[in-house]
Amino acid sequence: MKREIALKVNQRDETLLVDDADTLLDALRDRLKLWSVRESCGVGACGSCTVLFDGKPVSSCFLLAARAAGHEITTLEGLGDGHALHSIQEAFVEERALQCAYCTPGFVLTVKAFLDEYPHPSDEEIRDYLSGNLCRCAGYADIFRAVRAAQRKVEESKRKS
Amino acid sequence: MTIRSFDLLQPRSLPEAVEMLAKHGDDARALGGGTTLIILMKQRALYYRYLVDLQTIPGLADIKSEADGVRVGALVTHRTMEQSAVIRQAFPVVAEAFSHIGNVRVRQTASVGGNLAHADYRLDPPPALLVLGAEITAFGPKGLRTIPLKDFFRDMYETALEPGELLVDVKIPSLPANSRAVYLRYTALSANDWPCLGVAAYLTKENGRCKELRVALGGVAATPLLMDGLEFANDQSLDSDVIDKLLEKVDEQISPFADLRGSEWYKRRMARVFVKKAVEQVKSWQ
Repeated sequence: MKREIALKVNQRDETLLVDDADTLLDALRDRLKLWSVRESCGVGACGSCTVLFDGKPVSSCFLLAARAAGHEITTLEGLGDGHALHSIQEAFVEERALQCAYCTPGFVLTVKAFLDEYPHPSDEEIRDYLSGNLCRCAGYADIFRAVRAAQRKVEESKRKS
Repeated sequence: MTIRSFDLLQPRSLPEAVEMLAKHGDDARALGGGTTLIILMKQRALYYRYLVDLQTIPGLADIKSEADGVRVGALVTHRTMEQSAVIRQAFPVVAEAFSHIGNVRVRQTASVGGNLAHADYRLDPPPALLVLGAEITAFGPKGLRTIPLKDFFRDMYETALEPGELLVDVKIPSLPANSRAVYLRYTALSANDWPCLGVAAYLTKENGRCKELRVALGGVAATPLLMDGLEFANDQSLDSDVIDKLLEKVDEQISPFADLRGSEWYKRRMARVFVKKAVEQVKSWQ
């Protein structure tokens, strides 16, 4: 069955015609051309298709697009302002927390949701929360440092504002 | 990978959902969080012409405190179980069991009802809920009924739910005074994987001795199992003789089979190790 869904994607109102069998990943990539949302494992284990669903990380590869109706989706494209990088992206660049970068959008969004929920995380909390995002270039130590760098940047920008 | 076309039906009430399931019979299936069903359909291991979306029914995602326990709606997510102040305070063992499933995204999506109704043999919540004496509420063409969780799991991926019947909620009864429960999961592969096995132990103490001991295991038979015949431990101090007898009882009742996470022999050994560990943990609590 086809249906029209209204949802918010990266702060913009969108109306999409989707099939009931479409995943949110299909809709975001094929209709809205949001190429940062990437399918890898296809079963929710790797995190490369992570998007924020009302601010919480989900795997868009097995979430039905029809179920996103009325909700707010954020992809990596929605993090920066289109010109400057988001502070979490900056932290990933500075710490060289990427190599091939296929997994990076999923990591950055996961870190965004994580720092929103745990502004002062323990090392254990960082490892536990990020354990569902896989990086096959094995840059975990750099990614861990990027989370701490991102945390400092977020704190700094809060102090300034 | 794409999913073969299907229709997502979105009922507004339980009777409407049951009517849809009755109308479409084997062509329809209830959809909870979708973490398992959608993936299996994507892999083309399963196909249903109609999915009945339970998320559109109001009230199924609530956690309600009642006089004698807590009622958890079928659509409550794993992440909510992990973080809910009510669950963490009343049943920390349940919050613990839900907190290690998959990853944070899976827990954000997967539902309590879906987890139980899927009836996989190695899931984490069933052992914890079994030792607490949880009960399922089901709603179907014949109305509402309750099913003790220990009678709910019938076989691999098979439950006591009748065709067209829905799991509505899980009632967890309040713990008596001087009771404590733990859940230990043992993973043979990565931390995000299904466990090789999981063990829950529950102990009520009286005058420093065991008043009641319950033990349940996941991953060591076609269904999660609540151990029978543990009354011998009542009024004992759970010393090594009692624990040895318990381990024999466990070994008699489990029937593990080899999978990616271990051979039958290995799982029998690990069951002994983790049952002992779990009982020692509940015992040492003051």
